[in-house]
Amino acid sequence: MTSAFTRVALVVGVLVAITQPAQGQETQPVPVTRADETSYGCLVCHAEKRRAFVEGVHSEWGIRCHDCHGGNPVALEVEPAHAGEYVGAPDKLQTVAVCSKCHSDPDQMRQYGLPADQFTELRTSRHGQLLEVGNQDAPTCSDCHDPHTTLPSTDARSATFPTNIPETCGRCHTDAAMMEPYGLAIDQLEEFRRSTHGRAIYEDGNFAAPSCIGCHGSHAALPPGVGEIANVCGRCHIDVRQSMASGPHGGSAETGNVLLGCTACHTNHGTETVDSELIAETCTRCHAEGDRATMIGEQIEEMAVQAEHHMESAREAIRELGEAGRQTSDAGFLYRSALTEFRQIASVQHGLNMEQLTDLELKVSSITKSIEASAEVAAEERWEHRLLLIPLWFFALSVAVLAHFRLRRA
Amino acid sequence: MRERIAAWLGNVGKGAKQNADPGLLGALRVFGLLYGRIDRTVPIDQSLRQSWSRRLPANVDWKHAFGGIAYFLFMILVVSGVLLTFYYRPSVDEAYPSIQFIVSEAPFGWLLRDMHVWAASLIVVALAAHMARILFAGAYKSPRVTSWFVGLALFAVVVVFGVTGYLLPWDQWAYWATAEFTSGIEQIPLIGGMVAMFMRGDRIVSSATLSRFFALHVIVLPWLAFGLISLHFVIIRGHGIAGSEQTPDGEGTPFYPNHLMRIIVVSVFLIAVVGTLAALFPRPVGDPATPFNAPDELVSTWVLVDVTVALLHFLGSAGIVVALLLVIAVALVPLFDRKPQTDLRSRPVVAILGVVLFAGFILAWVVGHQVGATVDAGTIPQELLDERAVPPMPAPTFDVEAGGGASGEEATEEVVE
Repeated sequence: MTSAFTRVALVVGVLVAITQPAQGQETQPVPVTRADETSYGCLVCHAEKRRAFVEGVHSEWGIRCHDCHGGNPVALEVEPAHAGEYVGAPDKLQTVAVCSKCHSDPDQMRQYGLPADQFTELRTSRHGQLLEVGNQDAPTCSDCHDPHTTLPSTDARSATFPTNIPETCGRCHTDAAMMEPYGLAIDQLEEFRRSTHGRAIYEDGNFAAPSCIGCHGSHAALPPGVGEIANVCGRCHIDVRQSMASGPHGGSAETGNVLLGCTACHTNHGTETVDSELIAETCTRCHAEGDRATMIGEQIEEMAVQAEHHMESAREAIRELGEAGRQTSDAGFLYRSALTEFRQIASVQHGLNMEQLTDLELKVSSITKSIEASAEVAAEERWEHRLLLIPLWFFALSVAVLAHFRLRRA
Repeated sequence: MRERIAAWLGNVGKGAKQNADPGLLGALRVFGLLYGRIDRTVPIDQSLRQSWSRRLPANVDWKHAFGGIAYFLFMILVVSGVLLTFYYRPSVDEAYPSIQFIVSEAPFGWLLRDMHVWAASLIVVALAAHMARILFAGAYKSPRVTSWFVGLALFAVVVVFGVTGYLLPWDQWAYWATAEFTSGIEQIPLIGGMVAMFMRGDRIVSSATLSRFFALHVIVLPWLAFGLISLHFVIIRGHGIAGSEQTPDGEGTPFYPNHLMRIIVVSVFLIAVVGTLAALFPRPVGDPATPFNAPDELVSTWVLVDVTVALLHFLGSAGIVVALLLVIAVALVPLFDRKPQTDLRSRPVVAILGVVLFAGFILAWVVGHQVGATVDAGTIPQELLDERAVPPMPAPTFDVEAGGGASGEEATEEVVE
């Protein structure tokens, strides 16, 4: 009974659906307002695409299948639906064309606060150059941005979310077979994960640290030229760049002649900090051992190691103060001012300015010494507590002796 | 008036002459000067003499001292605790600074605080030793069953004293040890949540918890302890020390001077030992408590925390359950072991239970203090991390097969050109 009723209802429904557009609205497309509109023709066959699409931001702004794929969304059969300017599944170049139809139009992008220069940028990039000659390895828009579930880069599910970017690039750049013809290494992702920048992003959630696109750019992705390295790093490491420029290495670092910019001492993807104990050793990569330059390196190393040692002693002193139940706010304040000087040592050493370095090291040592002194005073007072043990045990032993004599008499 | 003063002085002189027996007792009797008049209506002097002259069985020796040691440690705790409340302030804002003040500013505050801390640990050890002696000597047998259970109640009171007192410094260790403990309580089926809620007075350890722990620690528990101690002592005096049945009247060693001298020596040595431990190994003050950051490690400073840490470290939560079952089994021993024999060979189950419990206690204490003295409290459970992890990125759905164009190699060549 029920099934018969359902069948009849279905037939009637389909008949109504088929006949409706034919009655009078043949030429004008139906205004589609909602992604879950049941009369939207594409969904008759492509229901599963809808599920992915409604999750994305395009659906939210009223973009529909036919806006990218063309065809006639009002038709309910395959042939009329796929007629006209129908794109279907676009190839790589077509994809760029489809996306840039809207995304290169500043008038359309303005309302969403989006730039409209991605296409122009892509054409300047290595990826774009390869795409234009029909290379199938080069990524098109939809390789990094999911074409149906398109999400803004602020969405943690997006492939362009800061923590996801390295893996997104790594999808191709860790593929040995794909990278081999271009002579590119595939260890960048692994190196980046271990790097100072990588740890800042993954462990500290510090999205100010650069992922791949921070240095290479996203749509205009290219490795920085040798002469550009110091500028790229200097965008964030402003004080280091200034210090470097003021010193003897400055000129050659900025032009890339002789010196490979920052990467002469720090690797590009690994971006490791050079430990204080390894400063002099790093100098010997270019300078001969025992010459004047390496001697300066040794002096810097000694100062940096000393300063580090002072900072550690200060931390230990503050910990001791705290454990002894002392107020640590004053010592903590002093420590922070020492930290400011200490951090400057890291940037100033790039300019090899020995006078300034000596000055900083002296400041660090004098501030931390005063912290240590207050901890020593507290420790001395604690040690004096032990003097109480003398009368205490004298009393206890005297009582024991007296009791012993009294018991012997009993 | 002059006559009355003369008469009073005469009385004093008479009392002094009467009480002028040499030795320590005589020196103490000087107080008789003060209660000479009272003594006529309340026979303090007489009852004191009577009680001091009573005799104890000859088998009473040093191993009977643990109960007394625990009692004296309790006295140290009461005195130092009362003095600490002069400075301590039980509020979230002031608790930590007041501890800082006690340890670094208040005269001998450090000594009071660390003696309190050390006595709190030693009293558990003394009680365990006392309980072990009673168990192995069979001294819990009828008619002393009630005394055994009152003693157990006292042990429980001491444990609750420790739990409530551990929170009061309001530093990170105190806070998080209590947080761990109360969330452990929450795991108990059916009643756990309710009990934990009652203990904390809040969903997390907060000012409400501090207030009620302080109230329990300084008002409720001391009265409870005094009541139970009085009952314990009354029962002991009523039944006499175990084994006194075999001692005929008039035999054995007199309480004064033999036992009193020993009590004085033990007490003075206890003060010296607790003071030494306090001066040499003070409890460090942790960082101020914050519910937002778990510390990297929890440093245990109380013997029962050490034991719990060892159990959790090696056996997991099953260890706690096994230990609790063992304690309950030993606690109920007097109900099952009703034969009068006190020889250990005639009650092997009790012997084995006792050895396992007390040897296990010592082992867990030592091991817990060495190995698990620090608990890695900073580890977030993997499930929690998984729950918060960013979901994996959707794979690209774009189908590249449809497109045309040159292959990779060709493209490279073109670019190179």
